[in-house]
Amino acid sequence: MASKNLSRRDFLRLSGAAAALIGSGLDLQSMLHAAPPELQDAVKLVFGGWGATAEDNGVQAAIKQFQTENPNISVEWQLTPQAPDYMQQLLTNFAAGTAPDTSFITSDSYETLAVGGQLMDITDRIASDPVLSQKDYFFPQEAARSADDKGRWHGIGSTWVASHVYYNADMLDKAGIKPPGFKDDEIWDWDTFIANAKQLTVDANGKHPDDSGFDKDNIQTWAVDWPLGNASHPTAAVYSNGGQWIKDGLLALDSPEALEALQRLGDLVYVHNVAPRTAAMSDLGMTNTQMIDNGRLAMGIDGSWALSWMNPSTVKNVKLGTGALPKMKQPAAFMQAHFHAIINSTKHPEEAWKWLRFLATPFYTLSFMKIGLWLPSQTAQVTPDGLKTWVTEGIHPANYVDFVTDYLPKYGVALRIPPGYIEANNNFITPAFQALADGQKAADVFPNAVKQANEVLAAAAKA
Amino acid sequence: MTTQSEAKTSLPKFDSSPRRSLTLTQRRNLTGYIFIMPFILGFIFWFLIPAIVAGYLTFQKWDLISPPKFIGLDNITHLFNDPLLLLSLKATFVYTFLSVPLSLLLSFFLATLINREFRGIAIFRTIYYLPSIVPAIANALLWAWMFNTEFGLINVVVRALGGSKVAWLQSTTWAIPAFVILTLWGAGGAMIIFLAGLQGIPDIYYEAAEIDGAGRWAKLRNITLPLMSPIIFFNFVLGLINTFQIFTIAYLITGGTGGPENSTLFLVLYIYRTGFRSQNMGYAAALSWVLFLILMVLSFIIFKYMGSRVFYENPGE
Repeated sequence: MASKNLSRRDFLRLSGAAAALIGSGLDLQSMLHAAPPELQDAVKLVFGGWGATAEDNGVQAAIKQFQTENPNISVEWQLTPQAPDYMQQLLTNFAAGTAPDTSFITSDSYETLAVGGQLMDITDRIASDPVLSQKDYFFPQEAARSADDKGRWHGIGSTWVASHVYYNADMLDKAGIKPPGFKDDEIWDWDTFIANAKQLTVDANGKHPDDSGFDKDNIQTWAVDWPLGNASHPTAAVYSNGGQWIKDGLLALDSPEALEALQRLGDLVYVHNVAPRTAAMSDLGMTNTQMIDNGRLAMGIDGSWALSWMNPSTVKNVKLGTGALPKMKQPAAFMQAHFHAIINSTKHPEEAWKWLRFLATPFYTLSFMKIGLWLPSQTAQVTPDGLKTWVTEGIHPANYVDFVTDYLPKYGVALRIPPGYIEANNNFITPAFQALADGQKAADVFPNAVKQANEVLAAAAKA
Repeated sequence: MTTQSEAKTSLPKFDSSPRRSLTLTQRRNLTGYIFIMPFILGFIFWFLIPAIVAGYLTFQKWDLISPPKFIGLDNITHLFNDPLLLLSLKATFVYTFLSVPLSLLLSFFLATLINREFRGIAIFRTIYYLPSIVPAIANALLWAWMFNTEFGLINVVVRALGGSKVAWLQSTTWAIPAFVILTLWGAGGAMIIFLAGLQGIPDIYYEAAEIDGAGRWAKLRNITLPLMSPIIFFNFVLGLINTFQIFTIAYLITGGTGGPENSTLFLVLYIYRTGFRSQNMGYAAALSWVLFLILMVLSFIIFKYMGSRVFYENPGE
């Protein structure tokens, strides 16, 4: 058979045919992914956020319900796994003019974006909403973080989360220690906490930290892990000692009360030998949940969100309990969580508001509360009837109700995080915490770090 | 009047379209430009325009969410009062000056090892080269485990040699050496270039030297090194520029923090953090000019003082 060279014309024909084929394929793709017929004329809203499978499932379920109630609106969920990555993506979207209509906003970016005019002022919409405007609809602390100095809201807090103790009840029971709870008379003071922690810490020879010959390099069972990497955990200690994290828009971690509280956290590792170094924890290759479950850790300080994976159903080998953080001068918990907001550039403010308010109603919030990821932020959810709608056996320990009905309303602290905080924190405060975790004295690192951080905050406030 | 059939049989007319009117040289030039167009476009879009924008932003305050605001020389004066810039430069210089010479030595040594012919040499060449093409994320995960204080392979070796365990990635002292070790693992890239150079040296030189009684060291010093000097120089300059711009692996291993305590806040990581996390794109632009100036000055010094020592076999070509 005679072979024929491909002429230029043939080549162009072939190329055209291939392009047409690809084009039709793309079209086929778009047809396959087209919205259902009932949503084809719907207003499309983009909702951006972050999270793992639990968040993804919750948002997907909420979208399904919302679209059933509002057939003229379709919501496209754009998920990024990690919050810092999402926020970076959001910033570049702002710069490119391609921001979503509605979005998760981290608590440390909320103020910056609100002042920068990126978030829609929704104060009047909340005031005229028949549900959200009800007196005491939200926890009293909600206004302290969602509203600015003039009382204007640019978003709604998604929920509350706060730190508390998760403990291996079997280990405490064996040591004859009455576990901490959330009621006033069940909260340990600091000295009791240290004494109990020493009793629970055991080296390879069965000795405790105050015993002679105690081998601090060969500890088998740690009493407590109080991580310094997540601001929630050390913040609670600072407030508990009468200090403040942020005061008048500036960091206040250089106050004597704050320094004393932070030093006490460092001393858990380097003076009392009752807590592992952060590095040791990660190097052991185990999470706090696994260490509690296998009896290597008696108490883990973690956020309430951790209840979604560290609960009586998942910790199978031992009995798991929860209680309040030990108090220094007074009980305290730092309450925070991300916000939901409407981005000012949206072309569909009415529809965006409908979606945003839906996110602040029980259908959405309950789904996360039931799995232990979120705490209630609405007053009606902590009434006897409200509790029945989310407290779940196997997830929430028996005394968990005290945490939300008694402890948090009395001792929960919420605050607004000023513009410039991320830069101040990344550049100066995080390294100071790393130095504290590495054994340096709080008084040696924090005053200078706070001074430098506050210069950043002052400059941001001026801008 | 010519008929159609006559026209068909007559000599073909020259096409009057502009393309056909190009001279051979012009057509060759055009072809050349088309071939280098991807680079030219890449240079314009990914270097020239960003460089011009960075120049503009250096004098602006831009948080990405509001329009840029002119602030004069504020970003430049801040460069001289920024404690983190000093930390960042220290980390970058220490890392560069440790990793570049060690990397060159290792890759040259490996190249000489595999520059011989025996059965299965291709396998060795592949083994030494492979690490340099491992994707960054796999590299980061692997080395985060290798440097694990309790279970990492490096500390297993350290302990076997009688040392005590080192908190590689949590210690401000050991974090940079950890990154240097990690970089050495990727020496295969430079090794291949060295190997190509070594194979370009004719055997006749070595044979002549052997006849004159030259030993291995004399052959290396008087034949291999002079003839390899352009390649050593190339790998040195490239290594310097690349290590100075370390980012991906540092971002992945430290989670973008540059920790512990900013001890691995390499300059490009600091630029990224300033621009995209701290929302200070103007200052990030000023920092990027610092990087550019440092690389330019270093390159100038290297070309001025080292370039003249490089031996080119055919300098006229």
